[in-house]
Amino acid sequence: MSDYLMEMKGIVKSFDGVRALNGIDIRIRAGECLGLCGENGAGKSTLMKVLSAVYPYGTWEGEILWERQPLKAHAIRETEAAGIIIIHQELMLVPELSVAENIFLGHEIKRFGGRLDYPAMYKRASELMTELGMPEINVAMPVMNLGGGHQQLVEIAKALNKQAKLLILDEPSSSLTASEISVLLDIIRGLKKKGVACVYISHKLEEVVAICDTVAVIRDGQHIATTPMSELNVDRIIAQMVGRELTALYPKQQHPIGETVFEARHVTCLDLDNPQRKRVDDVSFELRQGEILGIAGLVGAGRTELVSALFGAYPGHYQAEVRMGGKRIDASSPVAAIRHGLCMVPEDRKRHGIVPDLSVGQNITLAVLKAYTRHTRIDAEAELETIRDEIGRLKLKTANPFLPITSLSGGNQQKAVLSKMLLTRPKILILDEPTRGVDVGAKAEIYRLIVELATQGISIIMVSSEMAEVLSVSDRVLVMGEGVLRGNFINDNLSQETVLAAAIDPAARVGGDIASATPPSERVNMESV
Amino acid sequence: MKELNIKQLFGQYKVLALLIAIAIIWSFFSWQTQGDFISARNISNLLRQMSVTGILACGMVLVIISGEIDLSVGSLLGLLGGVAAVLDVLHGISLPLTLICVLALGLLIGLCNGYMTAYLGIPSFIVGLGGMLAFRGILLGVTGGLTIAPVSDNLVAIGQGYLPAWLGSALGFALLALALVLTWRQRGNRKRHNLPAAPLWRDVVRLAVIGAILLLFVRTLDSYDGIPVPVLLLLALLGIFSYVTSQTVFGRRIYAVGSNMEATRLSGVNVKAVKLWIFGIMGLMCALAGLVNTARLAAGSPSAGTSGELDAIAACFIGGTSMRGGSGTVYGALIGALVMASLDNGMSMLDVDTFWQMIVKGSILVLAVWIDVSTRTGRR
Repeated sequence: MSDYLMEMKGIVKSFDGVRALNGIDIRIRAGECLGLCGENGAGKSTLMKVLSAVYPYGTWEGEILWERQPLKAHAIRETEAAGIIIIHQELMLVPELSVAENIFLGHEIKRFGGRLDYPAMYKRASELMTELGMPEINVAMPVMNLGGGHQQLVEIAKALNKQAKLLILDEPSSSLTASEISVLLDIIRGLKKKGVACVYISHKLEEVVAICDTVAVIRDGQHIATTPMSELNVDRIIAQMVGRELTALYPKQQHPIGETVFEARHVTCLDLDNPQRKRVDDVSFELRQGEILGIAGLVGAGRTELVSALFGAYPGHYQAEVRMGGKRIDASSPVAAIRHGLCMVPEDRKRHGIVPDLSVGQNITLAVLKAYTRHTRIDAEAELETIRDEIGRLKLKTANPFLPITSLSGGNQQKAVLSKMLLTRPKILILDEPTRGVDVGAKAEIYRLIVELATQGISIIMVSSEMAEVLSVSDRVLVMGEGVLRGNFINDNLSQETVLAAAIDPAARVGGDIASATPPSERVNMESV
Repeated sequence: MKELNIKQLFGQYKVLALLIAIAIIWSFFSWQTQGDFISARNISNLLRQMSVTGILACGMVLVIISGEIDLSVGSLLGLLGGVAAVLDVLHGISLPLTLICVLALGLLIGLCNGYMTAYLGIPSFIVGLGGMLAFRGILLGVTGGLTIAPVSDNLVAIGQGYLPAWLGSALGFALLALALVLTWRQRGNRKRHNLPAAPLWRDVVRLAVIGAILLLFVRTLDSYDGIPVPVLLLLALLGIFSYVTSQTVFGRRIYAVGSNMEATRLSGVNVKAVKLWIFGIMGLMCALAGLVNTARLAAGSPSAGTSGELDAIAACFIGGTSMRGGSGTVYGALIGALVMASLDNGMSMLDVDTFWQMIVKGSILVLAVWIDVSTRTGRR
């Protein structure tokens, strides 16, 4: 009677008496792509961990039917044998091993005596790559030489090699470029045709709309709705996720823009491993007071390298001339940059943002601790007062400031990192992917904060891979591609197509000298030169 | 539920578990030695034995919290103790000048180690390993491989002197008063900021325990010769280092650097300078430990401080310092040092063979860290 490949019925999972999942029902047919949406902490990952037996049978309540039989797996090995394969947000590849070795990791083809059968593995790996539409990939090459998109492909090939019937993709596109995403989506379409079912978890709802047949939304561990795609669009999914119609996701607000306060001249960054290659090639631009400058571009365009060089944090060799208020300043290290009022919130929150062993409060005051000292002693009360103010101002959700920062959700961790930098009273604030891994509600608050800061006269440089974000928040948009500046647009109903076209166009290059926008609403160097 | 509470209590107050461990070790040795182990004379001895490792552990805990390691401290202790003996015995230099020279040399060598680790990017493990060999070599060169004795009485007093009884008692009362004031202020602060304060009974019990320990400590030592000078030095260091790690910017930065160096650097903290000074302090502690050691032995020996680095590192880990950096306490490290010293002392009293002593100490270290690791993962 049921033609479902997999059914989860009434799944309940508790941690220390707190219900993370409270009766979830989802089901999926062979060849179907199910979008799983929900804010951070809604329970998506927990649900998938139940399905893939990261949480073994018996630690949760409810029932899973797999090909109409109850599935009682105790280990990931068993669910993988059944054909349920999960691909995590962070890729699980060994960078030094080759494509083929990665695909067969743990399932190597062996000859007598445990010797690896390389010819057989290369052959099978090449077949898989051809199947995925990428026959040109050299399967003997170390994975670290591949781009993010191709690495994702290797993960999928690895899953296919395990005879996947149900593929769970957890935020697969978070580090992919637009073109790589379209390749990924094509591959998923191909898999669907072959009868492989997919669960697609993503914050990027455009992709969900593009690829999924049905969308299940969960919120706070509750199953909200499972709806066919034909009855949905991005706005309705968002509404289901947050439980209310979200009108002001991106507040577009007019704010005064003053004179030029910041100039970056001739920034060039060399690649860490390969000094012949320039990650950033002679980029110059200006920034005005209270201006929000978005930097768009595909992943690997050199945007993060550019801004970290400005902040004195680029790990390799680089050249950069940074001017503030017409004078050249020393921004050769974060210490020096912050002293001049130039601050950066880095892209990788886990590695460069939070200090995991310190509390929420201690993270917030890390950069300005000296301000609270009296005779070398930290004035705990003054510090706490500031922390309380900051928590209130940024609507940071934490039970108390003494909790470890790692106990917070991604969005709240990001707010803490932002707050840390704001306390230094920057004049120029660089935000690198400020909303990565942040849920919809916290995103809106961060956008509101950015606009508010600009209104106060702080100039903001925002690097972002989310086009919608760049276009709705920025006053002006720089477009980078392959290390050079390919576009500089005043954001006056700027279209996504224009930006994307500039990012891709290899011939485009905006003047090596100064790329500055003159009076508002006038496009400079439109499209290309 | 009850069980959970106990586990939480241990998680929060690791020091409690350590104190219980010490109680067990002490009871065992007292039983085996018919009470000789806890005689005033032996306790005084034990604490003096512990002082050298304890002084090193004070510095080492900072190094480990910051995510580094220093293997050269044993040799450096020996070298600086040897230099002190050479200055004192062969050159007849006055005590204050000797102290200044040795402390300055210790600080300088520590800063050198720090510079190589933080600014030149040489892993601290290698810098330490190199130093371990080189400093021992210099010591052999300086002393010509001979024990240098006898050192002057003034220097000996640093290692073998005692405080008069009345001063010891006064000190005990002062410490108790300090604990009272601090607890009072903490309660007041937490109340003012609407934070959940620990129940009153728990603070009262805590103060009562502190008082009892202080009373026992002072009375026991006074009933022998008084508080030994090196033990006083160690107590002072405990106070200073606890203050630095919990109340100052530098202390906060040590934890931040050890927990996530990149994030700390990007927050505008000069992480290299922090590391430089941590190693500087470590060098200073080596100088103090070297002086106490030479004074205790009344001689500068070319083998002084051999494997001292291992005792200090073991003390830190037994005291709950995290291997990967970012967490740990000074008092924990000192209790760890006390555990090691108790084992040494007790087993020597029982005439246990040296090889057994080494086996037991090694096993205890591994066991202690295993317990620490398993309770840590249990919490997640």
